[in-house]
Amino acid sequence: MSNKTHESDVAFIRALAELLNENDLTELSVKREYGEDDTLNVRVSRRGEAVTTQVSSPPPPPAAAAPIAAPAAPAEAAEPAEDPASHPGAVTSPMVGTVYMQAEPGAPSFVGVGQQVGEGDTLLIIEAMKTMNHIPAPRAGTVRRILIEDGAAVEYGAPLMIIE
Amino acid sequence: MFDKILVANRGEIALRVIRAAREMGIRSVAVHSTADADAMHVRMADETVCIGPPSSSESYLSIPAIIAACEVTGAQAVHPGYGFLSENANFVQIVEDHDLTFIGPSAEHIRIMGDKITAKDTMKALGVPCVPGSEGGVADLAAAKELCAEIGYPVIVKATAGGGGRGMKVARDEGELERAFLTARSEAKAAFGNDEVYIEKYLTTPRHIEIQVFGDGKGRAVHLGERDCSLQRRHQKVLEEAPGPCITEEERARIGAICAEACANIDYRGAGTIEFLYENGEFFFIEMNTRLQVEHPVTEAIFGVDLVREQIRVAEGLPMSFTQEDLVINGHAIEVRINAEKLPDFAPRPGTITQFHAPGGLGVRMDSALYDGYRIPPYYDSLIAKLIVHGADRDTALRRLARALGELIVDGVDTTVPLFHALLQEEDIRTGNYNIHWLEHWLETNLRE
Repeated sequence: MSNKTHESDVAFIRALAELLNENDLTELSVKREYGEDDTLNVRVSRRGEAVTTQVSSPPPPPAAAAPIAAPAAPAEAAEPAEDPASHPGAVTSPMVGTVYMQAEPGAPSFVGVGQQVGEGDTLLIIEAMKTMNHIPAPRAGTVRRILIEDGAAVEYGAPLMIIE
Repeated sequence: MFDKILVANRGEIALRVIRAAREMGIRSVAVHSTADADAMHVRMADETVCIGPPSSSESYLSIPAIIAACEVTGAQAVHPGYGFLSENANFVQIVEDHDLTFIGPSAEHIRIMGDKITAKDTMKALGVPCVPGSEGGVADLAAAKELCAEIGYPVIVKATAGGGGRGMKVARDEGELERAFLTARSEAKAAFGNDEVYIEKYLTTPRHIEIQVFGDGKGRAVHLGERDCSLQRRHQKVLEEAPGPCITEEERARIGAICAEACANIDYRGAGTIEFLYENGEFFFIEMNTRLQVEHPVTEAIFGVDLVREQIRVAEGLPMSFTQEDLVINGHAIEVRINAEKLPDFAPRPGTITQFHAPGGLGVRMDSALYDGYRIPPYYDSLIAKLIVHGADRDTALRRLARALGELIVDGVDTTVPLFHALLQEEDIRTGNYNIHWLEHWLETNLRE
């Protein structure tokens, strides 16, 4: 690469940066092909803003990140690929308990995948302290996924279903 | 034998219980709030359950959430640690109603000791010494003079309906009594609309001495000597040591026997602490804590016992693993409480620990839930570590404390460690010459800068 192309590249990038500012963009990327084995890839982004949007999701780093994880710690290894709890349509458990998908053994399930539900319709029951708590749909929509099984134990905040 | 116990607490005390359980071959369940998903007790436990949002009232204090966590994990018993639900009689009752075992005393004993007046009446009836005074209101000056001649001066006159220091007057001798009595009465009338006053012996420079007791719930009980916890700031203990620097072997044997007998008589189960004010060789009952104390490790150090293991044993109905004769004091132990607080005003400092290094070596124990990168959440108390040192005698323990504090690294947040470095330079700390007012006075004069 000659000195001259280097200077023109710098000028090009500077122009892109100005474009970014003038139009109030957060990111801009350009690929130029000058010929074989001579390409330029530029990505200009505003760090400040990009960083703030990342920080706005607060979940702490997974346990695997820490060096002192105890030898006998449960194998809750990182599986951050897709967390249903962060899905916008997720319905999460308001309590610890045992899930029942139907009113009593043998009865049909309250809801199934693909079913339309209205706001306030019972989705399932969580038993805690021998009390059956009906969990209502927080909004009307279609049940896209059911993430738990009948009889399963759930924690506070565990994703139960996705309703869109 | 329990297969699995649930620890209804967080921080260093949750680790303390998990460690004891693991050594006994019992699986542990940690419960946690969403703010504690990364906490050390969650990493150390065999199983974990998220029981609620950050607010304690919806997580660590939520009885339904904790009972449900026992149900979904199959835990057979609950250890409450200290604080949170540890002295909640209603919780104990609910735990037992669900056919679970509470690792601690009965609901009835917690209820009795949780009420100041019932506790004092009960202890008095069991022969435990209480602050002498009138049993109720004092009718007139003549009756006041007669009473004070009997209990001895100085005395304090207090409004029956009172609180907050109003309607309280001290009389150092009979000459001052008339004025104190009449002033307290008129202040009580003005402040509370009720001029009834009562009189108690006034302790000017007492020490806080507490006796560790332990019962099997079946009529056997022992005492494990005393701890001196006089170094306090705003009624919060800062440094504790055992044995007490001013307590003689005879005094220990006498008050210890009284406490052990009282616990045996009521079939007390598990660990308990009977707190006293101590002045001029006399003990005066303040209250009883029906749980494991923060400062229990100093007692464990000098007696070589594991109090949490014993708690679990007697909760299962097993006998205690020691008798009074087995309990012989070995050396001296000191604990300092390290809080995430900024001096001089002790303002809480939550934040991220950038570097943590625990001291080690002979006679050093560090009970802490810190680790590199740990974020101290702002929702809970500021205790982040307890450093406990044990040595052949008090002087050795003090030197060891200075050495261990020097090795300790906690970077990223302000801590109370500098306070202990400063205290160790004080002649009164080296000689053990302090009382419950000493630290407040010292802080006023030394922590201005």
